[in-house]
Amino acid sequence: MNQSLYNFILQKKHHSFRAEVTTDFAAAFAAAGTPYAERITARFEMLMAAQEPHILEGEQIVFLRTTGKTPDVLTEEEWSTYRAEHGYVHELGYTSNLCGDYARLVATGLDTVREQVNEYGKREIDAIFDLCERYRHTALQQGRDDIATVLARVPHQGATTFREALQFFRILHFSLWLEGCYHNTVGRFDQYMYPYLAGDLAAGRLTEQEAQELLEDFFLSFNKDSDLYPGVQQGDNGQSMVLGGCDAAGKDCFNALSAMCLRASKSLLMIDPKINLRVSKNTPIEVYRLGSELTKAGLGFPQYSNDDVVIPALEAYGYSHEDACDYVVAACWEFIIPKYGYEIVNIGALNFPSVVDQTVREKLHTCADFDAFMGEIDAAVKATATEMTALKSAAPFLPSPLMDMLITDRRYRNFGFHGTGIASAADALAAIGTHVFEKKDIAPARLIAGLDDDFASDPELLRLLRYESPKMGCDHDLPDLLATRLLDDFADGLAGHKNAYGGIYRAGTGTAMYYLWHAAEVGATADGRRRGEPFGTNFSPNLFAKIDGPTSVIRSFTKQHVARACNGGPLTLEFAASMFQAPDSIDKLAELVRFFVMKGGHQMQLNAVNADKMKAAQQHPEQYAQLVVRIWGWSAYFVELDKEYQDHVIARQEYTV
Amino acid sequence: MKTGHIFDIKEFSVNDGPGIRTTVFLRGCPLRCVWCHNPEGLEPGRGVLIRQRGCLQCGRCRIPCNHSDCQGLERCLHACPMGLVEELGRVWDAESLAKRLLRDADLFESSGGGVTLSGGEPLLQHEFVFELLGLLPVHKAVETCGYTSADVFLKMMEMVDLVMLDIKLADPGAHRRYTGVDNTPILENLRRLKASGKPHLIRVPLIPDITDTPENLSAIAALVGDSPVELLPYNRMAGAKYPSVGKQFTHLISKQENNPIDTAMFQNATLRRDAHS
Repeated sequence: MNQSLYNFILQKKHHSFRAEVTTDFAAAFAAAGTPYAERITARFEMLMAAQEPHILEGEQIVFLRTTGKTPDVLTEEEWSTYRAEHGYVHELGYTSNLCGDYARLVATGLDTVREQVNEYGKREIDAIFDLCERYRHTALQQGRDDIATVLARVPHQGATTFREALQFFRILHFSLWLEGCYHNTVGRFDQYMYPYLAGDLAAGRLTEQEAQELLEDFFLSFNKDSDLYPGVQQGDNGQSMVLGGCDAAGKDCFNALSAMCLRASKSLLMIDPKINLRVSKNTPIEVYRLGSELTKAGLGFPQYSNDDVVIPALEAYGYSHEDACDYVVAACWEFIIPKYGYEIVNIGALNFPSVVDQTVREKLHTCADFDAFMGEIDAAVKATATEMTALKSAAPFLPSPLMDMLITDRRYRNFGFHGTGIASAADALAAIGTHVFEKKDIAPARLIAGLDDDFASDPELLRLLRYESPKMGCDHDLPDLLATRLLDDFADGLAGHKNAYGGIYRAGTGTAMYYLWHAAEVGATADGRRRGEPFGTNFSPNLFAKIDGPTSVIRSFTKQHVARACNGGPLTLEFAASMFQAPDSIDKLAELVRFFVMKGGHQMQLNAVNADKMKAAQQHPEQYAQLVVRIWGWSAYFVELDKEYQDHVIARQEYTV
Repeated sequence: MKTGHIFDIKEFSVNDGPGIRTTVFLRGCPLRCVWCHNPEGLEPGRGVLIRQRGCLQCGRCRIPCNHSDCQGLERCLHACPMGLVEELGRVWDAESLAKRLLRDADLFESSGGGVTLSGGEPLLQHEFVFELLGLLPVHKAVETCGYTSADVFLKMMEMVDLVMLDIKLADPGAHRRYTGVDNTPILENLRRLKASGKPHLIRVPLIPDITDTPENLSAIAALVGDSPVELLPYNRMAGAKYPSVGKQFTHLISKQENNPIDTAMFQNATLRRDAHS
């Protein structure tokens, strides 16, 4: 690794090159009535022209953003109108969370692409060429002929070497962010980049050591401008890289570059790019060991996804076999299709505990037995899911001439929903089944009164619900199969409904930030959760469930028909960092992950956490600048998070397994 | 059907033998090592653990109750709104426990793991242990202090695949002082273990100035010879659980850091990097 470059980025010294952008693009465009595509293009041209080439010492992969945060292209008033016109605007409204065909552009070069695109595309490519030319001149002036040589070829022509390919990718990715696209994923990097690496190694242009250093230099580039990328919190930027997985013939594609990426990530200990590992029953244990080494490093990745489950699930959703086999993950864990997916996979979320709570209040007293009550739950979950399909059906993206080059065939237009608080909801139903109907020691009126006053006047009720009812995560069939039923209902409620683009809706097991937002929307719940307590993240046990350990958790969370609710959303396991002190902990963790895959789990993510360190970091943030934690679908530097997110991570680990 | 008193079942216990293992903690121990970090496992039979953090001091757990499972305990198990009162030494029959443990038989098989019995001192409940071991067709390990009769120790060796034996102090006087018992039966069982050819591991807890002295370690080294040894650094959190079980941690441990350890005085020793668990 280039230590001086690493330190330079780590210490954020490159931030001093940045100039604030003061132009009020939106106001000017609004006054002139400029069309949206023109706005995006014109702003991109101006921002590209404003970039100052900076080549850092020893840097091989160049392009550094020298402008600060980018002002909007629509005024507040225009956004309101735009929102009203479309019924709903997704997040920031700009194109996001997609995975373009980087490979094709890197292979063909932008000269060729320029011939195939419209005027906006041509103008954006010319802006890219201009900045590249200025970088080339700077390189020559600084005696960096190596950089000048690379830029003399790419991005005009297709890459012929690993370095050219990496530089080309960096230019494209840099440009996407600057154009306003966000949550710009990386895709199956080890697949589309491998031929360049293999070519260099075979021809003797690079040694393995040099290739590794080059790769690490390239990995650093994901961390140069990332504080400027939009997200709910710092780190929520969607730079997901997918490694391994099978091809359409079923062959495992983990290659030398996949392993190099895992090593690079472990050596840099930075939160970007975020590593996802595709695995299957054919994955050798050695791959899990490499992944476990990264988990041990405390980065909160790799996140694993199971091809044996995900590919058939995607095919059942209507994706072709070939495209399904090429799946990657979006910003967090949502499964998306590179090149052809023009989808919104995080369009909203179903609040399971809220649906259960409403049904308890409206229907519980009318139900003669638990079956009747569950019939009401089925109906309520399905109806809620169906209602959700109508609300955001026509969500648009603002135009993106660059994404139009990367995705020329919008073959898939599906939308996906998260599902918040599955364990909380399943536990609530299990508690109701156990105490209201089976033991009959809680009457419906008593339950509702307790929920209303947050158990203040009935601590015995809290005790029964919270500690004397079966919980998901303990391999207990009652809550586990209730979760199955809830997810089936979710999928059933979405089935058959189409969005305005003809796409379907996919049910998921992720939560994103809804584990806080949705928890705030409901009071105390029948699982014995007090008002104000958060839900678990993603597909995970209740935070207060007394679980026996990770194998029980894995068994509980591999019983559901996840193939029917396969938008994505991992089971999260937390391990005390000290566990990794055991000499063969890597081997054991690798076996545990493989066990999850063999049991038919769809996605899993593991954390090594140290509560003492996190608490100390809250007191002395300056001493813990590099402490990394996993939030919902991405890793972040702990000290850069708002306190509510910090506190949730600390609370979560109290239940480490 | 024999029954036993169990105070914890821990899945994925990484420090208790090969592969992925579940460790069962049996309650009751004949020793009273002053440094013991599992004080909730010392007394035989049933009891309660009351975690202090979050306690509202509401007194509900002290109100007499009629729950059948609270009989004989000094607190009610079903009263705490914070879930802080936990039963220790829950009664399991061998068959139910075996069934619970064999839930993970597939994982034990694929990872080369199995079940480890720990404690407390598992052999204090040897009749239950033997019945349980007979019901477990997986790799089996026992963690023992070795303070038991020759008959029990020999039978245990026949039934398990790996024995992990703690050796704390070589000097009989020091052993009595710090663990409350004579070490003669332990050292005799050590000789039986070495003679048996059974796979084994000797573990030595390193307690500052008590067991981690060069005199004690070299004496242990002479006793264990070529047996594999694992040296377990002192766990500074050792006293953490004492208030929860109404006990007081010792004042006899003068410092928190181990003396420098020279593994070379042993023929075959490794120093664990983490505090033992």
